[in-house]
Amino acid sequence: MFKGVWTFVFWCIVACLLAGCGTHYQWTKSHPAYTIPPFKDFAVIGAEKAFVLNRSAWFAKKLNIPPEEIQKHITGDCAKWLVQDLQKLYPEIRALPASLLDASPEESQQLDSRIFIKGKIPEQGIVLKDSTGYMPTRILIIHEAILGTDLNREDFFDYALIHNESPEKKTSKNLTAIVSYTLWDNEKQRALFNSIDQIDRPITHLSMTDMEQLVQSIAESMRSHLVEGAGR
Amino acid sequence: MKRSFLLFFMILGLLAGLSHARDVYFNSHYTLWKDGDILIWNVDKSITIDPKEFCLSLKRNNTSIGDPKCRIFGEWERDSIALRYGNWLGYNLEPNTRAEYLKARHPAMIAKIQALEDKIVMYVSKVEGVVKVALFDETASTPKIAGTVAFNSDPIALYDDMANSFFDHPAKRRLTKKEREKMATEPDEYYKETPSFNGWIGVGLGYSQAKIPLTPDNWYRSHIDSKVRKYRITKDSTSLWNFIDDSDPFLSLYAGGTWYGFIGAEIIYRLAKHNVKTDSRDTSYDELDHWYFYQHEIGLSIHLSKTFPMNKWMDITPFVFLGFQYSFFVEDIDVKDDVKKPSAAYEKRVEFEEVYKGALIGFGSQFVFAKHYGVSLRTGISSRGRDTYSDPSPDAAAEPTTIGGSTIDCFISLGLEYHWIL
Repeated sequence: MFKGVWTFVFWCIVACLLAGCGTHYQWTKSHPAYTIPPFKDFAVIGAEKAFVLNRSAWFAKKLNIPPEEIQKHITGDCAKWLVQDLQKLYPEIRALPASLLDASPEESQQLDSRIFIKGKIPEQGIVLKDSTGYMPTRILIIHEAILGTDLNREDFFDYALIHNESPEKKTSKNLTAIVSYTLWDNEKQRALFNSIDQIDRPITHLSMTDMEQLVQSIAESMRSHLVEGAGR
Repeated sequence: MKRSFLLFFMILGLLAGLSHARDVYFNSHYTLWKDGDILIWNVDKSITIDPKEFCLSLKRNNTSIGDPKCRIFGEWERDSIALRYGNWLGYNLEPNTRAEYLKARHPAMIAKIQALEDKIVMYVSKVEGVVKVALFDETASTPKIAGTVAFNSDPIALYDDMANSFFDHPAKRRLTKKEREKMATEPDEYYKETPSFNGWIGVGLGYSQAKIPLTPDNWYRSHIDSKVRKYRITKDSTSLWNFIDDSDPFLSLYAGGTWYGFIGAEIIYRLAKHNVKTDSRDTSYDELDHWYFYQHEIGLSIHLSKTFPMNKWMDITPFVFLGFQYSFFVEDIDVKDDVKKPSAAYEKRVEFEEVYKGALIGFGSQFVFAKHYGVSLRTGISSRGRDTYSDPSPDAAAEPTTIGGSTIDCFISLGLEYHWIL
């Protein structure tokens, strides 16, 4: 009878070891000063330059758009929808032109031991203002939004894996969006919250509505992570 | 009653004063150089720091700091990139922050910090009754230590407080450029093809006894006090100290060596002479001229040590050792010349095992003068037991126990050594 108990304990230990040894990533990082999620005096920047479409030929065929136009078409639409969706969630949010960040150097920010996000963030000591002189206290900086099918965010952001070659056979079960963003404290010029979100939606019959809903999920995911990250 | 209340509030006030006077947010123990350069980076000019007085405060509060040179760091105060970072630092230096959150990000700013070369930059800014201080050196693009001290309108008291909070650890001598070059080109000793070896031979005199200091007497009393009757009878025979004297001097010869100045081995030979504890009132010993045992021991131990060079002519090497040993007790007995035939008790006298096996453990220190001539002091505990283990048989209770199966002593010895390095 005791033998059974010991066997059970042994397998529990094995299971714990296996679970513990598996790679576990941390996809968000909060600054200790990030206690209140943004609501007022809030702006978004970078959406129009963030979107990248993976497998464009496949998307062109499925969406009946000429292959030479698909990149421009999809990324432009998605950027527009993302700003609109964010405006639904944050009525006071304002969009700043991405050109404000042109002068800033591209920098890496670490989320986990092997996870880094790369993107332009304002310099220390420099406050972002739009042409009207409006100075938001917090800015949502969208670095990159990758659209594709069946993507994994570790393949893009774990520096040990980014040089791996992609598999020969590409699958298309899910529509995937991977978005990396920073909540920027414009007053004190520091990153309050960094995150890489992955959103998957099953594909049944691909249409532009699916893309629109995917972008809507991006906005919702961003908002829930911004709330979760505060005060951690 | 009133007075005790007053005293209570005074103490409370003092404690509050102490806890608020300074607040070090983080401290990553930077290297403070003797006769170093302290550059005062006063970004927003919210406070005036007199470099001369500040230097005197440093000397007063840290005797090891030597003769530091302090000056206002005009290069950074006039530089727009440094100014931007300095302003940023001002409003990001908050309680509970960590160094990683205060990293300078601009490549030009990082380059400026890296170019400091042993100089220490002290950022100062006065905000709401406190003075924020952060120190930089060339080793990191983050402050090495940061915090606040309470503002004091008496500048000397303020400087003393700053010196005490941020410059309080011992200063090291700065290496010259040549020394630095030599250090940089020196090979790492752990990558040598043949490891550095330090060997020694030595001769020592010591003293051993059964009683281990700081342990109760009654652990040993029965062994130490017992006498041998009629050549073999004692109360208990588990320890050899029931038969022979335990507290005797010994001579030791030893040789050993360590690799990498850390791990090694030592072989030890030890010789001692122990009298058998015969009772003078026992008439059976009337025939006896002398009876004693020579204790010969050969041991091998693992030796772990670390050398601390004290000065040019002396190194101190504390060590610990752990090993095993074989003990042989050789009997020397004789009856008086006029005795023709020894008694029956003499012929049937006690016999010890041929060999005892035991362990030894201890620590000590070698003091090596002029790299070759050493004095070593060591102390430890050694044991002697049965050499072989035999399975207990059903009539084990009837079997005689091994004489001296648990013989323990502690020892202290002083040795003279000759050392060499390969």
